[in-house]
Amino acid sequence: MYILKNSLISIIRNKGRNILIGIIVLVIACSATVTLSIRNTANNLVKNYEEAHDIIATISFNRQQLSEKFEGGEDAIKNNIEAFNEIEAITLDNVKNYGDSSYLKNYYYVYSTSLNSDTLTKATDKYEYEVEDKQTTTSTTTSTTGGENAGGRMPMGGPGGGGERHTFTNRNTTTIITRTKETFQSGRNLTGDFELDGYSSYDGMTNFIDGTYKITDGEMITDFENFECAISSELATLNQINVGDTITFKNPNTEATYDFLVKGIYKDNSNDDDSANMYSPSANTIIVGSKIIEKLVSDDSTLVTNITPSFILQNEEAITPFSEEVKAKGLNEYYTVNTNLEELKTATKSIENVKTFATTFLAITLIIATIVLLVINMINIRERKYEIGVFRTIGVSKFKLTIQFVLELLIVSLIALCIGAVIGTFLSKDIGNSLLQNEIEATQVANEQILDNFGKGGKPMDLERATVQVQAINEIDAVVDFKVILQLLAIGLGLTIVSSLASMISIQRFSPLTILKERS
Amino acid sequence: MSILKLEDVGYRYKDAPKDQYVFKNINYEFEQGKTYAIKGKSGSGKTTLLSLITGLEKCTEGNVLYDGKNLKKMNLDKYRNTDIGIVFQSYNLLPRLTAIENIILSMDVSKVKIKKKKEKALELMKSVGLSEEQAKRKILKLSGGEQQRIAIARSLSYNPKIIIADEPTGNLDKETETEILNIFTRLAKEENKCVIIVTHSQNVCDRVDCIYDLEKK
Repeated sequence: MYILKNSLISIIRNKGRNILIGIIVLVIACSATVTLSIRNTANNLVKNYEEAHDIIATISFNRQQLSEKFEGGEDAIKNNIEAFNEIEAITLDNVKNYGDSSYLKNYYYVYSTSLNSDTLTKATDKYEYEVEDKQTTTSTTTSTTGGENAGGRMPMGGPGGGGERHTFTNRNTTTIITRTKETFQSGRNLTGDFELDGYSSYDGMTNFIDGTYKITDGEMITDFENFECAISSELATLNQINVGDTITFKNPNTEATYDFLVKGIYKDNSNDDDSANMYSPSANTIIVGSKIIEKLVSDDSTLVTNITPSFILQNEEAITPFSEEVKAKGLNEYYTVNTNLEELKTATKSIENVKTFATTFLAITLIIATIVLLVINMINIRERKYEIGVFRTIGVSKFKLTIQFVLELLIVSLIALCIGAVIGTFLSKDIGNSLLQNEIEATQVANEQILDNFGKGGKPMDLERATVQVQAINEIDAVVDFKVILQLLAIGLGLTIVSSLASMISIQRFSPLTILKERS
Repeated sequence: MSILKLEDVGYRYKDAPKDQYVFKNINYEFEQGKTYAIKGKSGSGKTTLLSLITGLEKCTEGNVLYDGKNLKKMNLDKYRNTDIGIVFQSYNLLPRLTAIENIILSMDVSKVKIKKKKEKALELMKSVGLSEEQAKRKILKLSGGEQQRIAIARSLSYNPKIIIADEPTGNLDKETETEILNIFTRLAKEENKCVIIVTHSQNVCDRVDCIYDLEKK
């Protein structure tokens, strides 16, 4: 107890020295509060962002690898399509197999097929209509010549070649070969007029989550196993369909028909800035449950389907092992596993930069402060050498004396830390947001520069998205929370101990007798 | 029965040749209720001997026994704040504290339980001839004699059995010297203390019960 009492007396009676130490610690506390609160808040923001935005793995074609199989020449297209068709497409069973993984939180997929309809009009820019045949009668002068032109050569004629048209008859036997045109296309193209996108869960409806699609009438399908659907507002308007109506689709192969109850009508907002097409790409897209597609496929296995799986990974570390696991489960070599990690990182890049800056600033401040405090303490201990000698001769142990000196510094530091923390709290929000704003502006300028490199008229979609995402987190709202206070205390304690090293070592080394002799 | 005993005590500085001792084969005994003077010329090792007795230095040879216990095996901090009171020639008081605070600090440091420390400190100061008003003064605002009295009061604050003083009257005038010596004599006779005074003053030697002449060995 007397140690504390002595410390307090010493602090009060050595005001000048302690005020100087206090000011230094105050400045450190202030900057530490600002940087710690920015750092912690930035951490929380990034963490929240990462929690809100899962790392999603998708499977896509590796076209570069595929193109190595492509051929040039006369039948190139046919051969290339054949090569493409040889690659096994991903099936629903594959997706379920890949989805059964410990590296995943969840997975979902969009299972698509296409159907026709006798009762619905497809939303398209093309409009075909029938007109009555018109016959035009013209009179022509025809002269026939003999077999002088055995080679079938065409005489001079045509534009500028004379005023008459001539018909030449080849005296040789003419064999006419009729060729029937075949449509040769990839076996994976959906061929029906209406694309049915079967979602396995609401999680997969990313267009609705990010606001690209929005239900404007009715509601989203609630039963993924019943013949319910949501249709685009364009299709609804074109065919005068209302929520609650039933629409009928037809299998293009078997002519089987399926009735769907319209539960909702959605608007596609993605075509707001797309002036090239009359209808949005989703105009003929029908939203249904994935089970419905499975039913359609079970009725007709020849129905062409597409599946787009999305795998929600547990964390960043799961990317490589999951990728390897999927390959081990038989994913074709022409497919690759991609993730949205880069996209997520881009969104938090600005705030990560601010965080790094704050951490560096804090580290530099602490190093300088520690050195300054250490020097002040070394001077202090030389000034108080006599005091140490007296304490030792009256029987104060080295340990207790060390505690007293450390305590003095700790009390001054704690008071200064508290004041500094209060000041820092007021400053942290403004400074944090100012730093972030500068960082966002710098990143935007850099992105715009890249876009300019592609030409002002043609902004690549990906880059444009990256620019938008830079602003995903555009305000820090730095707050001094319990964690920051704990960190400040740890910094204060650390600073005190490190800068008290001079006292600690000196007290251990000083001989009281020598000190007192020197004094005498 | 001696409270303090020096058995074949010898001391040489660490960097001195092996046979060059400050002193050697010292065998002194000190009893409670008596005053002692350790006499010697300058450089004879008086202050060094005081350091050995107070545990501020360790003897190179022999043993110092306090109440039959070897100082080498004792907690010397506790020994200094409980069993022995030291009065230095240069007083060694803390200048940032007041007179009474110096005395109370010594009580705080001591392991001895003392009730009503302030009253006890004032009482001690009164016993060495200092007033309450002087008690509140900072050390540097007191005269040499007053500081010496404070140093004596401080050494008595935790009621040790031994009081050891290093040239306690060296900086004082003759009148004050007499007053200080009276205090030491009273402490030995009335309070049964063992008072050891390290001195080269004949006046001091004339007032004590026993003189040890520290010849240079």
